[in-house]
Amino acid sequence: MKISRQLRTDIAGYSFIAPNLLGFLVFTLFPVVFSIVVSFTDWDYTQGFGSMTFNWGHNFVEMWSDKWFVSSLVNTFYYSFTVVPATIFIALVLSVVVDKYVFGKTPIRLAMFMPYISNIVALSIVWVMMYSPFGPVTQLVKSFGVDDPPKWLGDYNWAMPAIIVMSIWAGIGYAVIIYTSSIQALPTEHYEAAEIDGATEVQKFIKITVPMLSPTTFFLVITTFITSFQVFGQIMIMTRGGPGTSTNVLVYYIYTTAFSFYRMGYAAAISWILFLILFAITIVQWQGQKKWVSYT
Amino acid sequence: MRIRKIAGLALAAIMIAVLFAGCGNGKDNSQSGGVSSPAAGESSPGAAGTDKPAAGKAVKLKMWGGVPPEAGPQAVVDNFNKQFADQGISIEYERFVNDDQGNMKLETNLLAGSDIDIYVTYTLDVLKKRASGNMALDLTSYLEKDKLDLADNFGGDMATSYDIDGKTYAVPTKIDQYGIVINKDMFDAAGIPIPTAWTLDEFRDIAKRLTTGEGQDKVYGMFFNSQQDMFYPFNMFAAQVLGGDVFYKPDGKETNFTDPAIVKSIGTVAAMMNEDKSAPSHVDSVTQKLTQEGMFLSGKSAMTIGPWIIRSIKDTTNYPHTFVTAFAPYPTPERKDGLFTQGGLGDLLSINPKSKNIDAAWTFVKWYATEGMLPLAEGGRVPAYKQFDKESIVKAFVSGAEDILDAATTKEVLIAPKSNYAVPKISNKLPEIKKVMGEELEAIYIGKKSVEDGLAEAKQRADALLK
Repeated sequence: MKISRQLRTDIAGYSFIAPNLLGFLVFTLFPVVFSIVVSFTDWDYTQGFGSMTFNWGHNFVEMWSDKWFVSSLVNTFYYSFTVVPATIFIALVLSVVVDKYVFGKTPIRLAMFMPYISNIVALSIVWVMMYSPFGPVTQLVKSFGVDDPPKWLGDYNWAMPAIIVMSIWAGIGYAVIIYTSSIQALPTEHYEAAEIDGATEVQKFIKITVPMLSPTTFFLVITTFITSFQVFGQIMIMTRGGPGTSTNVLVYYIYTTAFSFYRMGYAAAISWILFLILFAITIVQWQGQKKWVSYT
Repeated sequence: MRIRKIAGLALAAIMIAVLFAGCGNGKDNSQSGGVSSPAAGESSPGAAGTDKPAAGKAVKLKMWGGVPPEAGPQAVVDNFNKQFADQGISIEYERFVNDDQGNMKLETNLLAGSDIDIYVTYTLDVLKKRASGNMALDLTSYLEKDKLDLADNFGGDMATSYDIDGKTYAVPTKIDQYGIVINKDMFDAAGIPIPTAWTLDEFRDIAKRLTTGEGQDKVYGMFFNSQQDMFYPFNMFAAQVLGGDVFYKPDGKETNFTDPAIVKSIGTVAAMMNEDKSAPSHVDSVTQKLTQEGMFLSGKSAMTIGPWIIRSIKDTTNYPHTFVTAFAPYPTPERKDGLFTQGGLGDLLSINPKSKNIDAAWTFVKWYATEGMLPLAEGGRVPAYKQFDKESIVKAFVSGAEDILDAATTKEVLIAPKSNYAVPKISNKLPEIKKVMGEELEAIYIGKKSVEDGLAEAKQRADALLK
């Protein structure tokens, strides 16, 4: 039988994408599907597949009366809804300031980008030192006249803010780079027109720069939300979810249930809840963007 | 053109094959034993030519362990090779790093073939996995044949607690016995004799007397190392009264957190941290990442919680110090007879079931456990075998540090075998219970909750988990 020309082209095409596609199937699609199955079971993976028993939706019901889960959910929202707006606001202001008024832009941008490309474990260890009683942060607060500065990572109320500050610092480089490239691509006519009309710098920033950057802001809001909901490294190194449950976030709790409690099924179920939350937030943002994002 | 396409297809096919082979391997091996080692056999036909070495033919064994060769194993191997040269058995030692990756490397090798004859496992849960995965030989019949009863010879009940389903898969060769580590010079200066038995109240009082100075120069009486493990007061103090299952009531259906022994132990620690300030507070320990080496060996605390830093104590290059270190048993919540002793076995020696020289490997295991491991005592590993000559262990243990280690208390506390060890048997929901207890302990240590309230709440929360 003669193979048709079309089929031959198809085979060639598929064989080119096969390595990538196979990798995707084995390392992404299969785990994703498998985790759905697992999320409906009770499974201690150290006991092998034999110990897997279906409990249907029980995991998804149980978690809402699990105090650890609820507190980790609250903490994750606290973290994300602080980190994301703060990162975006500071990054926007910084990029504009650096772009307009700063001499030697490249080294400064590089300096801001360094934490983003550095290993989060190394950064976390450095920040543990920064927050220690003899570290610079505590000394700085003392020099402002505070006699008894908070214990930062050892304090129920201050541990989370301390991690948030560190995370903003670590993640801001990415947002600055994205903003900077957008700012450089902005057309100059609007600014010239505004100058002729006698607009101040602040007016130009609020009335021109911010609206024209709104597609970039939208992109950053979505991506930083997704990454901040998955915060793990800092927590693992700096506080291990403590003191008490004050920095216990979702992904850290997933890790705890899977690798300390050996409850794979429950951990998979929480992972899927995390996915659903992110999915919902993203949908809401897509709907909301019509109100504030302009592509003109 | 066509050739290129075919080559592309072939490449893709190979990748698929590799992927599947990679995924399949582990399972294949664990089910079918040593089927898949033709490659190893082919590459070394000389060594693997016959299944059983004929008498008189040289047998070369291979052992994997986690201790660096220079810390003892090389000396052990050299001694063995000298002593057993006439029987034609020799052994070679290779170190694996005892972390997740190192253990995985070991297991991959065990599953893949017969290259390793003897190896060391360090924890019971890993041993269980290896026993059920056909990676460890059932040694029960060998022990019976040589009349080597584990319970009689290796720490009583504790030794048989390492059995799995009534079978012995490993010989526990090392015993850990702990006690309070003491800066003898500070005790002498304060005119306090080294205690041989003491209660928590006496301990608290002594720590208070040894606390001096202020600020950066402060010397604490005690360091609890709570940032590393908050549960020392349970396992070291309360377990002496309550036994190994210190977290549970005897039936295992309820936690024991409001037991007077536990209230006393936790209460003493919290009071020393927060009232007496004779020990660094939990917050200081956490936020400054304090260590036993940093506190005790640099003279900032007169006592510390655990002698597992023995290698650092003997290492005067990295931790320069001149004072004499002595040891005392852990203080007890109350004074009474029949208390438990804290202790644990380790360095679980197993034989690879796929080894081609099982009899020779057993010869080595027996020799190692009963006499051969002495050089490891220099690195702080105390042989568990009861008939071992105690004086030679002490000599090896303090060697190189004779002037900074107090031999008498070293022998008494760390080396001389005790009776009535606290052996943990119940582990129902233990990780969850420890998380609950950890959170409440933190609140107690930080001073957010009183000892009684924190423990009562821990009990209530943990009992809910056990239902």
